[in-house]
Amino acid sequence: MFNQLSLFARSFALGVLLGAVSLPAAAADSQADELAQLKMQLNQSVEMIRALAARVHELEAKQGREAAGSATAAAAAPAPQAPPATPVDAQRLDSVEQKVNQIETDNATRHGDDTGLPMHGFADIGVGTHNPFFPGSKGFDLDNLDFYLTPRLGGKFLALFELNFEVDREGSVGVDIERGQLGYQFSDEATLWIGRFHTPYGFVNTALHHGIWINDALRRPQFLMFEDQGGILPAHTVGAWLTGAKRGDGGKVLYDVYIGNGQQIIDGEIDMRSAGNDHGKPIYGGRAGYQWTAGAAEGLTLGVHAFDSKIDDNQVPQGMTEVRVYGGYAVYDTDRWEHMAEVYFFDNLDTYPNTGGHHSKAYYAQFGYRAPWIIPYVRYERTLLDQTDQFFNQQATGMSYYRTAAGLRYDFNLKTAFKFEVAKTHYTDRIVGQFNEVLADVAIRF
Amino acid sequence: MKITPTMETTPMHSRAVVLILAMMITTWAGGAAAGDVYVICSAGVALKSDEVRNVFLGEQGFAGPIKLFPADNSAAQADFLEKVLKLDPNKYAGIWTKKSFRDGTNPPPVKGSDAEAIAYVKQTPGACTYVSSAPAGVAVVAKF
Repeated sequence: MFNQLSLFARSFALGVLLGAVSLPAAAADSQADELAQLKMQLNQSVEMIRALAARVHELEAKQGREAAGSATAAAAAPAPQAPPATPVDAQRLDSVEQKVNQIETDNATRHGDDTGLPMHGFADIGVGTHNPFFPGSKGFDLDNLDFYLTPRLGGKFLALFELNFEVDREGSVGVDIERGQLGYQFSDEATLWIGRFHTPYGFVNTALHHGIWINDALRRPQFLMFEDQGGILPAHTVGAWLTGAKRGDGGKVLYDVYIGNGQQIIDGEIDMRSAGNDHGKPIYGGRAGYQWTAGAAEGLTLGVHAFDSKIDDNQVPQGMTEVRVYGGYAVYDTDRWEHMAEVYFFDNLDTYPNTGGHHSKAYYAQFGYRAPWIIPYVRYERTLLDQTDQFFNQQATGMSYYRTAAGLRYDFNLKTAFKFEVAKTHYTDRIVGQFNEVLADVAIRF
Repeated sequence: MKITPTMETTPMHSRAVVLILAMMITTWAGGAAAGDVYVICSAGVALKSDEVRNVFLGEQGFAGPIKLFPADNSAAQADFLEKVLKLDPNKYAGIWTKKSFRDGTNPPPVKGSDAEAIAYVKQTPGACTYVSSAPAGVAVVAKF
């Protein structure tokens, strides 16, 4: 033993000598290549040592937890010989282990994405005094099973398909390609999509889509729901859409322009005419905004939007309305706050039968606070819709209303959220009445 | 200058000398400090250090005319998230869930080691990733 220590001491002395004398000298002479090779090998060794040290930490942490578990199970057992970890070390190790576990979990999913067809989705099930989308129904409701696929096409090509299995107001399950888009990225400033997309007006229609989980609130404002859930706007367009963003110091300019098939009101509900329309007239429009990405206003987005669409119906005689909509939106989205507001002005022209122009409006504001463990929110929404305008008159849900709502979101984990909302709704023209809602929903992503 | 050991050499001597040499050379040569993150990109990609965050959050898909293909490296991801993106893993995953659902873009694929990440950058035009030690043969665009 003494000899070994002696040898080690002599080796150490040699090391010091080498470090102090021979290395600088070696650096100065022409043996740089050998030194570089040695350095590389030694760096690899250091990496290996680090990896081994991390593994030892991991095993120690695991052993510590097992020992704690054993101690709980058999309280009379003597304490283990291993030195006790300090609270700070244990906390640090737990933190590191948690981060590594999170990364491994997330990465495991994304390793699977390398197959070329990543598929994810959302689903939710609710219960309430009214169905959140079809107020005439009560009790439990199976809402959406929503898959979205983003196949990797390579290069600058993009694809997005959103398949939604949803229950209609009669309780029947239907399948819809909510979004079917093929795209090409020219640059960060320009991506061209063709297919069926969510019409880029306002904020929520292109931010929240069909996955309930992705929304902090339990539901959208009623008038911005999808067409088959009581919405009064053409939420889907089949056509072409150019979108992009131009970054600058402290923010970026956002824009969208699009053109597609003019929609049709069929049996009281707007249809986006995925196979084309019979009159050949289009919807076209655009949206522009500015998003602050730094500074005091970071998280704020302000924008305007407008569209024009020729929308007919399936009545006899067939009506045709030129729907002209313009408005604006504001969003404040940070780690702490989520506020949003949108306003829509309708300047419709009923072209057949010709009843002239009609003016209506709709708006909402929602305020949310992202507390560490819960997200409460309040929302007020209102529509004032001209009932002599055949565009609203032909829609089953085209009546005016106002609603106040308050709710909360609680995340059980990264992929499972519980939502709760109470709301009071007043109908003010086609029918006059009010009803209260108490709603709960469990929403997941996968 | 060549040193000729005068004492008796044994395997234990050699191991001790190599270990001490490793420690001293690493220190002397200014080797990588623990937790350093090197962002590397394939040839021809000109990326500024302040653009790295946008690239890995899907906000920037191009460097000039070159389409970028970022990849995560699980061997260095914890340091990268902490030092560069300043996000915890949950927040990072959540951002990409929304980004992918809204924009049709995919989160960066994940490489399992520095070697795999470097190989990806060498083989893929427009690729960018990060490693935990200074690599050879690829361009380091930023060090954090």
